[in-house]
Amino acid sequence: MRRYRFLFEQMVRRELRQKYKGSALGILWYFVNPLVLMGAYALVFSVLLKVAGGIEDYPLFLLVGLIVWVFFSQALLSAAPSIVQHAALVRKVRFPRETIPASIATVQLVTFLVMLGVVTPVALVVRSSLDPALALLPLIVVLLFAMVLGLSLVVSVLHVHYRDVEPVLGAALLPWFFITPIFLRVEDMPGVREHPWVGDLLQWANPVAPFIEAVRDVLFLGVAPSGATLLYLLGAGGGALLAGLFLFRRMERDLAVIV
Amino acid sequence: MSGLRPGEIVLEQASRSFDLMRERRRTLKELVVRRGAPGRARVPALDCVDLRVKPGEAVGLIGRNGAGKTSTLRCLAGIVPLDSGRAECGGRVVSLLELAAGFGADFTGRENIYLSGALHGFGKEEMEERIERIVEFSELSEFIDAPVRGYSSGMNLRLGFSIVAHLDAHVMLIDEILAVGDESFQRKCLAHISERMEAGATLVLVSHDPAAIERVCRRVVVLERGRVAFDGDVAEGLLFYHRMLGTETGASESVRPSSARGDLEITALELRDSEGRRRHSFRTGERLTAAIFLDCRVPAERAVAALEVRDVRGERCFRTDTSLGAVEGRVELSFEVPRLALLGGEYDVAVGVHEHDAPVGSLLDRVARFSVPHTLEGEGTADLRGTWTVAGRAQEPVPR
Repeated sequence: MRRYRFLFEQMVRRELRQKYKGSALGILWYFVNPLVLMGAYALVFSVLLKVAGGIEDYPLFLLVGLIVWVFFSQALLSAAPSIVQHAALVRKVRFPRETIPASIATVQLVTFLVMLGVVTPVALVVRSSLDPALALLPLIVVLLFAMVLGLSLVVSVLHVHYRDVEPVLGAALLPWFFITPIFLRVEDMPGVREHPWVGDLLQWANPVAPFIEAVRDVLFLGVAPSGATLLYLLGAGGGALLAGLFLFRRMERDLAVIV
Repeated sequence: MSGLRPGEIVLEQASRSFDLMRERRRTLKELVVRRGAPGRARVPALDCVDLRVKPGEAVGLIGRNGAGKTSTLRCLAGIVPLDSGRAECGGRVVSLLELAAGFGADFTGRENIYLSGALHGFGKEEMEERIERIVEFSELSEFIDAPVRGYSSGMNLRLGFSIVAHLDAHVMLIDEILAVGDESFQRKCLAHISERMEAGATLVLVSHDPAAIERVCRRVVVLERGRVAFDGDVAEGLLFYHRMLGTETGASESVRPSSARGDLEITALELRDSEGRRRHSFRTGERLTAAIFLDCRVPAERAVAALEVRDVRGERCFRTDTSLGAVEGRVELSFEVPRLALLGGEYDVAVGVHEHDAPVGSLLDRVARFSVPHTLEGEGTADLRGTWTVAGRAQEPVPR
């Protein structure tokens, strides 16, 4: 596996450059898309819909949640068809197939880190939320990446076997976005006040929710996430990665034939 | 792996079949609806194949389309797993299964060299060490920083081969490739391959082109429906293959228009080797006998026989005549070449028999084709292989 480190590097670089090669903005497009998305959501939710009752610095609140979501959804969406897109390589050369979805997820991680690098100082200044809890941010990011990587492995190898995975995923991510506490806190979501169990469901059944909460805790509120949340992140990150590797190993056998 | 010497290849009872229906894709619907559907036709690509290749050997794999050649290569390369049996290669395996395997069209030749190396498990430093040699070998230095999109297929081939050639492979698996590219680059590839083989590397070459196999391989394996139908010497293997295809060119054909069939006719022309077997492929220096069967319906007083050898372009390489005197009925005559002084290529033997006063012109009426494997020691038609000398010291001939 160590032998293929250079391959991984090459694939990441290739992926970064391939998509927008020949376009004027080139690699910048990776940041333009999420930024436009965030601008649009901020406009819709804070100005037009005025859902943000009582949340201070709402655009920033939204932004912090959105960058996590954009990372999660973009990584999965681009990982799903990745092995099929690299069919020419898979059919002709023997190399660890994990490299393909892993490089895709890594490219999205790079984007995420850059966004995070922009948002973090803004949040710290605007919210004066500098707190020792910030030291937990790298850990949260690592666990988030572990989960995204694990799920990327799953969707990419599943998509080779069942070609509906990508469209199904595309369709699922939209409602998923709206039940994820991105533009509202869980406690502000409709029905949560009357039925606390709905809140628990929204909070814990959706693996993205605790990650968003945790990032928001350290960046936006300047507090440490609860122990339960941290434990959950650990389980979600580690569990998804292990399950992803396991499933990938089991299903990669005939990739060169069916891809 | 399990104690194979570098360059050694072992296939033991290797079997692999493909499900043609499943070949392309499955959908979730299929998973739900047809779950447990009875097994559909599976087509065996490899059926209990046994093959052992020693380090330094070059083996040609031939066979009809779908005989399992490429599958064998893909199993050896570890790209496609076997259903049962064992397929292993010792040392570093490098595969070139298609021209420009996996080149990214938007990337430059140089970037693709790095990626190809990385795909074979090479690191950055290892590739930096090699890149100049690869570029030089490919003769593409002017274009190496241009996107591969603009490359011709010949350029793609040169790049692909140059990369594979410089990865210090112990086992090279090459599919249908040496047939492309110009003559001088082909010779360069062959010389490079021989060099690597002298260093103990093993080559498995898949090709439909017998000439390509003959140029490189001493041993040939003929596959038929996933099984080894022949394994042995290249000349015999190619003959076997041609017989299998039903295109045995050792058989002769008449070139005389049927209206001109006369009283004196050649009914058959056979090319035989030193042991009297019919062959269509002869090595340079081998004994070749042309056996001519004559049917003489009306006794001829003074018959004359002629034999001519021509190259593929129809240029005469050699001609000889002989007087047969009086002939009658069925007559068999032969012409023996004790040492075939022709170099690699395809040749025709044309023979004719006629009365000595027949009009000159359509004198030859039966043609048989044969081929001679190429050697690296010279090219052309005449075998004038000799020794180069530099300032009084004898040179070794170019390694074969």
